[in-house]
Amino acid sequence: MPRTVAGRLAAAVLVLAGLPGVGAAQSWRTVTMSRQATDADEVRVQVTYGAGTLKVHSTEGGLLYRMNLRYDEEAFEPLAEFRGRRLRLGVEGVGRSRRFCKDDCGEMDLRLGQGVPMDLDLEFGAVRADLDLGGLHLTGLELSTGASESTVDISKPNAGSVENASFQVGAADFTARHLGNLNARRIEMDAGIGDVDLWFNGSWRRDADVDVKMGLGSLDLHFPEGLGVRLSKDSFLVSLDPEGLVKRGDAYYSLDWDRAERRVTVDLEAAFGSVAVHWVR
Amino acid sequence: MLRSRSALLGLAPALLLLPLAGKAQEREVVSKEVSVGRSEAALRLEFSDGGTLALALRDGAVMVDDEPVGSYDPGDALDRTWRLLLAEAVALENGPLTEALRDWSPPSALEGEDLTLARKLDEALESVLAAPAEPEPVVSLSGGAEGEAGVVRVLLNQLPRLAAFGDAFEELGPDIVLHVDEDVEVAGEETVSGSLVVIQGDARIAGTVEGDVVVVDGTLDLLEGGSVSGDVRLADAELGLDEGAIGGDVVDVVRRELEQVVRDRLREELRTQIRNEVRASSRSTSGLFNPLRRIASGIGGVIQDLIAVVILGLIGLGVVSFAPRNLDVVAETARRSPGRAAMVGLAGAFLLVPVYVLGFIALLVTIVGIPVAVAWLPVFPLAALAAGLLGYLAVARNVGEWLADSGYRYTDWIRKSNTMTTLTGGLLGLMAFFIAAHVLGMVPFFGFFRGLLEFAGVTAAIVAVLIGFGAVLLTRAGRHPEYRAPDFDEAWAHAVDAEREAKSEAGAQPPGETSDA
Repeated sequence: MPRTVAGRLAAAVLVLAGLPGVGAAQSWRTVTMSRQATDADEVRVQVTYGAGTLKVHSTEGGLLYRMNLRYDEEAFEPLAEFRGRRLRLGVEGVGRSRRFCKDDCGEMDLRLGQGVPMDLDLEFGAVRADLDLGGLHLTGLELSTGASESTVDISKPNAGSVENASFQVGAADFTARHLGNLNARRIEMDAGIGDVDLWFNGSWRRDADVDVKMGLGSLDLHFPEGLGVRLSKDSFLVSLDPEGLVKRGDAYYSLDWDRAERRVTVDLEAAFGSVAVHWVR
Repeated sequence: MLRSRSALLGLAPALLLLPLAGKAQEREVVSKEVSVGRSEAALRLEFSDGGTLALALRDGAVMVDDEPVGSYDPGDALDRTWRLLLAEAVALENGPLTEALRDWSPPSALEGEDLTLARKLDEALESVLAAPAEPEPVVSLSGGAEGEAGVVRVLLNQLPRLAAFGDAFEELGPDIVLHVDEDVEVAGEETVSGSLVVIQGDARIAGTVEGDVVVVDGTLDLLEGGSVSGDVRLADAELGLDEGAIGGDVVDVVRRELEQVVRDRLREELRTQIRNEVRASSRSTSGLFNPLRRIASGIGGVIQDLIAVVILGLIGLGVVSFAPRNLDVVAETARRSPGRAAMVGLAGAFLLVPVYVLGFIALLVTIVGIPVAVAWLPVFPLAALAAGLLGYLAVARNVGEWLADSGYRYTDWIRKSNTMTTLTGGLLGLMAFFIAAHVLGMVPFFGFFRGLLEFAGVTAAIVAVLIGFGAVLLTRAGRHPEYRAPDFDEAWAHAVDAEREAKSEAGAQPPGETSDA
């Protein structure tokens, strides 16, 4: 029998979902997929998810991934393809069928293996996303989302290093936490409309360049005390609250910039909105 | 040759033949898929050796590897039993999963057809999950002059290289003859059944090897009459092929590994480059995420449009200065017969290329025509371009005149008496769609309307060029008027004559009568 609480819950959902008469108003299907990690070679992981609730976490136990999906089988079909070191996961539309969901649009719970080097590419649309990428071995990260409410947390230090991490956010509330744990040399953030919270806490192992482009909305930058910060701004009709930064020449610097062990250089392009800097202990 | 029996020497093949040893274990599940819906409950397994198993209760049919083996009623005892098994399988992976599936057996509550079908599912699971029966490997080991101690010494020396040589030992058959630190000779009449592995030694084969030959750190001489039915794998070894036969491939494992490393590195560099280019491309095209770039792009577009108007206006100035009558004639034809001109322009556009090619060929036929043909190549396209430009300017002038007559507040500056203002006004009018599209492009979420305006602009330009080009063709570039243009002098003379005649008629009338002429 399933040995964990999650396993028991999944088993119960599976049994209930399948029984005739239960949930008959919607054609829900529940799928669980998993694959063993057979070696330690890098895998390019592409996750695509249109609408619903998305959770991504890490998992142990020699798995490459484990995915629980609940979706409307008349509108979508699951996608799980592993070919040539490339793993594609998610759901894709069936034919021309397009259904608009109001409250319950399905869900996807994805767990990625901790020991596998991954170049991770996440693409999702109108999704409520909760991503905890802590503990993964990331070698690349690209995230693009449309109208969503997304939280990305790198709760544990990345086992690998990322040359370039890219976040592209359309109209969304977006929060990224523990970006220091990402061990990225460069972080790019393109945001259209919405509220964006970037937390630069975590374990910094190298200096980083951060490139933020913001359309309309508010941007909150949270820096941990002790991190050297240089902020340069190219903006149009944007208010800036540079708390704890002093202006030197064309840029703003944190007070301990010259003696900081790790430094982050933020280039900001923004139009219409507000930018605020916060410091956290 | 000595037969290995001691535990110490047992280490040797165990170290070298690790891949073989792994294959004798339980069948490994590498991928699992459990899918449950109203009309389906399915299990799909994929094994490390590439095999698959698909079991499903789907739409009333019991399926084994997509082949129906019976039927069931949704919600019946078989359906419930199967779903319970899948619910258990959801949380299990690999070993425990294999164990649970293999240990499953139809519950005693099932009976009749349900029991029969459940047994079929059980048999399918057990037959696939059971480890495949592998023949007991037979490994013959032969050492050099130092005997067992020498074998161990050589093998231990090879330990750091074992990983690199792993490929050489992949997929060898179960029977292996292993020689370590000694030379081997297979005589002409001799046959070796199984694979021959030589480590730190030379092999001379004049006989037959019914399997693969692996040579590590040595040389392999395949003499005349010698044959190897399988592959020859070399690791830090050389091959001398003296008319011997090899049934399989010759693989230089070390070189292959080096090539693989280089290939991987190139692939990684290429991937990084492509990713950077794609990123740069997406950044340059993704207007939604970059408002400043969008605004700059919009302003740049408007400036481009205005520059185009200026350039066309300057060309128009040249036409008005040097060929005003031609412009008048073409414009008049375009104004009075736009439909006919457009049809002629369309036909002319389609005929441009054939005429260009056929004209060139026709000129080449005669000796006199050859120099003309050389000139024909650049002159014809230039003439066609000039015709298109003249026609477009003529239509622009007509548009300018229409705007001047329209009474719009912002077109007061266009004066019909001044050809340059009507021309400029018309050019701006024709370009207005593009300008509006670029202005709208600065605002987010108006991409559709921007596209619509650009489409309208392109359509207007094409229609203007076709009408103008047709009018140019109809009037032979304005030299043969289709319609008689109003002659100011003639009209003036006519008006004066009419006035004179009226006066003379009035003078001939009796006093007291007035003329109403």
